[in-house]
Amino acid sequence: MSETEHLLKRLPNDIGGLPAAPIDRTEHDLEPWEKRCHALADVLDFHKIVNTEEKRRGVEALGAEMVGKLTYYERWVAAFANILFQKGILTPEELARKMDKVEARWPAEPARP
Amino acid sequence: MASETLQDGVPMAGIVFAFGEQPIFRPGDAVRILTRTPVGHYRVPTYLRGKRGTVERVIEPAGVDNEQEAYGRNAGAKRHYYRIAIPMTEIWQDYAGSSRDGLRIEVFETWLERI
Amino acid sequence: MSQGASGHDHPHDHDHPHDHPHAEIAQAERPGYYDIMETAVRELLIEKKYFGADEIRRQIEVLDSRTPALGAKVVARAWQDPAFKARLLENGRKGCEELGISFYDDTHLIVLENTDTVHNLIVCTLCSCYPRPVLGLPPDWYKLKPFRARAVSEPRAVLAEFGTIIPDDVEIRVSDSTAMVRYLVLPKRPDGTQDFSEEQLAALVTRDAMIGVVPASIQTGSVQ
Repeated sequence: MSETEHLLKRLPNDIGGLPAAPIDRTEHDLEPWEKRCHALADVLDFHKIVNTEEKRRGVEALGAEMVGKLTYYERWVAAFANILFQKGILTPEELARKMDKVEARWPAEPARP
Repeated sequence: MASETLQDGVPMAGIVFAFGEQPIFRPGDAVRILTRTPVGHYRVPTYLRGKRGTVERVIEPAGVDNEQEAYGRNAGAKRHYYRIAIPMTEIWQDYAGSSRDGLRIEVFETWLERI
Repeated sequence: MSQGASGHDHPHDHDHPHDHPHAEIAQAERPGYYDIMETAVRELLIEKKYFGADEIRRQIEVLDSRTPALGAKVVARAWQDPAFKARLLENGRKGCEELGISFYDDTHLIVLENTDTVHNLIVCTLCSCYPRPVLGLPPDWYKLKPFRARAVSEPRAVLAEFGTIIPDDVEIRVSDSTAMVRYLVLPKRPDGTQDFSEEQLAALVTRDAMIGVVPASIQTGSVQ
């Protein structure tokens, strides 16, 4: 009998009925990038480049550790990257190089004295 | 799966329905949610597998199987989704609320059997 | 070429969206890892012509235009106009569209009426499905484990945490969104509002009342 099959059989988001803590009603306004990420998801779904269900499956496929540790929109953007690679729309190298270029638009952090 | 016979009366002479065009279940039907365990993706939560309920509504129009949609299928594979009513006491052995309480969920046709 | 204080080295008529004016860039923080990833993914897809930058800008505007005030208007109209309410309960999306609230996606809407015998609560245990076209974006607690896990197994305890006690002879009906249908709760109209205008009624309807964790009441009185 496998000790690990539950990891496959129960997705990390499938939490209905599990024990859980009291509800914390703290709310946060979306960061600008989070709102852009949400808009990106809607545009990707409209064009069926990545549909909403693909996004959900992509988030699940990150696995329990990432689902637990990344925030809501961090999971979305990580899932988008993976799905776009799988579809051959982007390559890991392309995205890595672009991310470096985007990051380079900001001055390097000053060295601490 | 139940056979795909027309349940609503007689079709217009000469009309033949495509496979999957007509819903298999109708409001009021007693159904059970199946117990298979897909890997990869599913939208029928584990807490409802094997539970018995009643069809409350047929969702129109038929939609793509969301398990397949999750892997890029945007058309075809269309069957009906059904809003299913399930008493809380059917779901949870030790349900602590009122015996009247209930749950509703949309379930894809291939996840239901008639009881 | 213009150069903002942060060292943007692209011409001023750039074609990727900024949602802050250049004047604020000097104060803006260096973007985090995921912020950079989002920008990179979006810019690459635009360069490859999968969609235009204008579509993203427009969708941000669409999202900003969707707030609980829209849902409140639907509820207030339903309270005042029985024929509209009947149409709304028959087809929630069409009812909203009658009031000019468009649905920019393929979702359906079922409006769930609270009565003397049924109190509705909505949840998405698997993710965060929510009637965004008519309510805007969901609160954080709706998307996190405690609400999603417990709303379907102990709804009365969950409601109590929001200060809502439902008598045992009233059914609590929890709708778990999983597919194309989204839900909006139509709260019970508070007593003592028979002379209220539609605007005054709408002001009583909060986002949380349309999720079903609280009733609409004369005391709550402010749309979030």
